[in-house]
Amino acid sequence: MERWQIIGLIIAVYLGVTLSIGLLSGRRASKSVQGYVAGDRDFGLLVMYFVLGASVFSAFAFLGGPGWAYSRGAAAFYILCYGVLGMTPYFFIGPKAAELGRRNGYVTQAQLICGRFPSRLLSVLIATLTLIAFLPYITLQMRGAGIVIEAVTDGNVPLWAGAAVAYGVVMIYVLFSGVSAVGWTNTFQGFFMLAIAWSLGLYLPIELYGGVGQMFEQIQAERPELLTVPGLTASGDPWSWGGYSSAIIVSAVGLMMWPHLFMKAFTARSDRTLRRTVVLFPTFQLFLIPVFLIGFAGVLYPASPESSDFILPFMILNSDLPAIVVGLFCAGALSASMSTGDSLMHAAASVTVEDGLGPFIKLSDQQQRRLIQGFVLITGLVAYYFAINDSSSLVVLLLTSYGLICQLAPPIVAALYWRRATTPGVAAGFAAGSGVAIFFFLTGYFGADLRPFDLHEGVLGLIVHVPTMIIVSLLTKPQPEACQAAFVELRENTK
Amino acid sequence: MGIRTVRWLTAVYMIAFLIAVTWPGFLLFNRVTPIIFGLPFNLFCIALFIVFGMVVLSLLYHSEQSHDDEKR
Repeated sequence: MERWQIIGLIIAVYLGVTLSIGLLSGRRASKSVQGYVAGDRDFGLLVMYFVLGASVFSAFAFLGGPGWAYSRGAAAFYILCYGVLGMTPYFFIGPKAAELGRRNGYVTQAQLICGRFPSRLLSVLIATLTLIAFLPYITLQMRGAGIVIEAVTDGNVPLWAGAAVAYGVVMIYVLFSGVSAVGWTNTFQGFFMLAIAWSLGLYLPIELYGGVGQMFEQIQAERPELLTVPGLTASGDPWSWGGYSSAIIVSAVGLMMWPHLFMKAFTARSDRTLRRTVVLFPTFQLFLIPVFLIGFAGVLYPASPESSDFILPFMILNSDLPAIVVGLFCAGALSASMSTGDSLMHAAASVTVEDGLGPFIKLSDQQQRRLIQGFVLITGLVAYYFAINDSSSLVVLLLTSYGLICQLAPPIVAALYWRRATTPGVAAGFAAGSGVAIFFFLTGYFGADLRPFDLHEGVLGLIVHVPTMIIVSLLTKPQPEACQAAFVELRENTK
Repeated sequence: MGIRTVRWLTAVYMIAFLIAVTWPGFLLFNRVTPIIFGLPFNLFCIALFIVFGMVVLSLLYHSEQSHDDEKR
């Protein structure tokens, strides 16, 4: 058997195991919307930990992370910095959202916001912006899977076929088992990714440089600019402190506001589970360090891949490892892509139906579930179309999606903690913040960078968002007492 | 420690964390040497902040959990 065939076989076995886990996991879940979208609110600690952790280990972290370390050096460190900051508020917000979800039957984030601030416009606005932010994200996960498979099979399985097979598997298990499949496959894939990140992250520096410390000493001697923050930009110029710092802030604010992550509050079995997940979550940030080591190992390597995103498969293929090991590594990279992609596809479809269409048409539970499954299919096909065509412009979109997602934070905080917030205030703030973020993104995209201090457009959006929300809220009539109390005083009432 | 103290401690730590990893706080740690556990000094510091963050969070967890248990 040829080398690429052995690798292909291992990938096939991996995909088979993932598919069976995905299909088996859904058998216990109820056939309702709650079962499909919120896993009957019965996820335990192990599954919650990996569901949220796997999202950190997306194709971006697995392919992009080493790529950043390789080409932009210490700029990649920002990816480590926002996890703890972003997760901590969830310690309080998560259980509160979960309680409201149990009481009022919420399964999405917009349902929670619009439960406090009833507005169909707001619901649709949130659903639309979510989809705009999700599509490039899903597309890049798919493309990542295709790239890995094409690279390791010497091109015998082209990108389009690799992406189709990997995401065909994802589509089947998400369609049949919903969020239960996302949870259990992520657990399996999580173990896989961690094992691979650590073994490769330690193996490569030792093999090529004699040790991790020696590797950094050599890089320090030859390319010292790579090892001090804020590192370099994609074009190789020094990155600004404003850009680096605001990237951390936007990511921290936005991290848990991603609907596919926030919605997982509704899947947790208990508050205790949610809180424990928050405490353990930062371990995944530490697990990213060996992933960066893979990228740094490529810095002084004599040859270089055609694009910095390919540094991981490139280093694997040039490392003279046996075919079986290479196959396992590739399965790990696929895990990273698929475990994020499944969650995104599932959330995109749920949000479209529950928040985009839900407020306008009355549907039975059965119909909603069917419709969500239909949209999983549609989302998958649209993303696939972009993934196999040139998607270079989508990378730019992805960078700005955090700017949109972090605009969900003020409405959530206001809904749960601020009595005086009103529906017009929240809607105006959200629209203004997103508008500002989009404005700075578009002007930058068309060549006129107007951002002060190189700040991320999401931060600029928030600077406009929060005052707008506060001022408009104070100028409009307060909400009825009962409506505020149901959300804000929740904790006190339940105990 | 009372529940309020622990909540304050968490908030203070997280704000300190934010200042320490962004401009200008990170200028204090932004050196390559000494290399500790094979990691450049700045990367090692970030890792250390994350570990301390987990310690603070687990403290918060125990305090909130025992607070809830008392109420029940």
